[in-house]
Amino acid sequence: MSEEAGILDYLERGGKLTSPDNAPPRYRAELMRMMASFVDSEMAGAAGFADCINQGPGVTERIAASRIVLEKLDHAERVLKIMGEFGANTARYETVHPWAARVGRDEDIGATRRGGDMRLNVFHYPLAGWTDAVTMNVLMGCATVVQLGELSRVSYQPLGETFRDILPRETRHAELGEEGLAKIASEGAAGKDEIARSVDYWRRRVGATLGGAASARADLLKRFGLRHESNETLKKAWDAAVDMSLGRALG
Amino acid sequence: MARFFPLRVSDIRRETRDSVVLTLQPKDEDRDEFRFIQGQYLTFRHTFDGEELRRSYSICAGRDEGVLRVGVKHVDGGWFSTWANEELKEGDILEAMKPMGNFHAPLKPEAARRYLGFAGGSGITPLVSIVKTVLAEEPKSTFTLLYGNRSTGSIMFREELEDLKNLHMGRLSIVHVLESEAADIDLFSGRLDRDKCDALFGKWVNVRNADLAFICGPEPMMLAVADALKAHGMSDAQIKFELFASAQPGKARAKAVSATGAATGAACAASVILDGVRRDFSMPKQDQTVLEAAIAANFDAPYACKAGVCSTCRAKVIEGEVEMEANYALEDYEVKRGYILTCQSRPISDRLVVDYDQ
Repeated sequence: MSEEAGILDYLERGGKLTSPDNAPPRYRAELMRMMASFVDSEMAGAAGFADCINQGPGVTERIAASRIVLEKLDHAERVLKIMGEFGANTARYETVHPWAARVGRDEDIGATRRGGDMRLNVFHYPLAGWTDAVTMNVLMGCATVVQLGELSRVSYQPLGETFRDILPRETRHAELGEEGLAKIASEGAAGKDEIARSVDYWRRRVGATLGGAASARADLLKRFGLRHESNETLKKAWDAAVDMSLGRALG
Repeated sequence: MARFFPLRVSDIRRETRDSVVLTLQPKDEDRDEFRFIQGQYLTFRHTFDGEELRRSYSICAGRDEGVLRVGVKHVDGGWFSTWANEELKEGDILEAMKPMGNFHAPLKPEAARRYLGFAGGSGITPLVSIVKTVLAEEPKSTFTLLYGNRSTGSIMFREELEDLKNLHMGRLSIVHVLESEAADIDLFSGRLDRDKCDALFGKWVNVRNADLAFICGPEPMMLAVADALKAHGMSDAQIKFELFASAQPGKARAKAVSATGAATGAACAASVILDGVRRDFSMPKQDQTVLEAAIAANFDAPYACKAGVCSTCRAKVIEGEVEMEANYALEDYEVKRGYILTCQSRPISDRLVVDYDQ
């Protein structure tokens, strides 16, 4: 058995890697793609949310929004550092894409990747005001928590550990969103209507980030130990989390 | 970009018949760059027959010792390890990047933790660093080391580990498991496989009480130990892996050869290999990158930034030549070996073979 076949067999049986030197080329490529998608989504998400900070009704909300922006950028930086260990040029990476760019609110860009970066497509849509931003944050927050739970098991151990460290903070972001939503809902019917409209807009778009049905790549990722659960399983967990969160916030 | 620093070899100690321990001295001004975390490794570069080879070796010193030391075990056919074992002399200069690696857990000086370590052969190297550092910097913690080897003669750091045991009385226990020697107790002969772990965990090693486990060795051993630890109640987050150094490519690989003559036409007959599948197609030399052509040919080729920055789309040219518009990620030695960023590469030869699997 060649060295590379040995490592692939090791990965398929649940083994972990800790150094770029041991990563076979195809494994490296899929791992890089996974990391780029996370980094770009955090960068684009933070860039979009940063614009909403001043729309927060009070200082508490603005602090929460600022904290979310700050920590998402920190999470991007942590994963980018690992990409750097694989040879990515991290200094240039941070400025290579227009992170704040968005498409029109009513454009439908489907699931096909667009533009130069790897952000999840949901981050190509613009936020429309404070309530909309908070609603999107709750729905996407639930998705991030589900995704990070899955990705904490990734076979590249330094990345799995980073995701494990990030998870409680992303969980807190979703909770902050839920608190914000509860506050808006408590102020009357108009707020609740606005939330309902935003949920209607974002739910399908956020749901699409969890990916479609099985594909050849999904099999490959599974064999590499880069993924474990199916997209359908994650989608179900996300649906349940969203229902619970909205139920709590809207009373 | 990777930066290399000169390190002077101040001592070479023969550790076993086929391994040496090198003590290395950075220049005064580089000293800070070589402060390491226990369990990290150094990546060296050296040129053999005109081709640069890089090889990583784990540091085997404790963080508190104030020296930089690596263990190099000779691997059959491994250029670097053969050279280090047979030709390297005191006073020679090696070039290395600053320490890297994530095989460690943050130290907590106040904590009283129970550590388990599992080493197979030269997988002991980073564990020596971890054991020494933990014992010195977490005075209430204890360490149990299970160490598998072929025979007594092949045990690296045997004396050093015994000294540590005496220095930190009662805090380090070592179980040697030897493959080709009968021990007084059957338990201590054989390999560190699943059965051996189960047997040892029942009698000699308390896994349920343990806080963290570090495993370094060949793949089958690491899998077997991890499975056994999990079966005895440890979680993924408590288990740290470091794949055996010999799994890295040991030999310099042949450079890509340009078998094609001067370019003539406007089109290039291209072949792309991905996941073992090869497709042949014709692509224009000017208007399309290799990545775009591969995607157009229905390949799910890897890429991320499309700007020559992230290196996700890296592949190797097996035949022919390309021109790379931008390259912010690949280093010179990779380019020399034929690696390209496919998102930035356009063919200039009439024939091009590119492999994403290498």
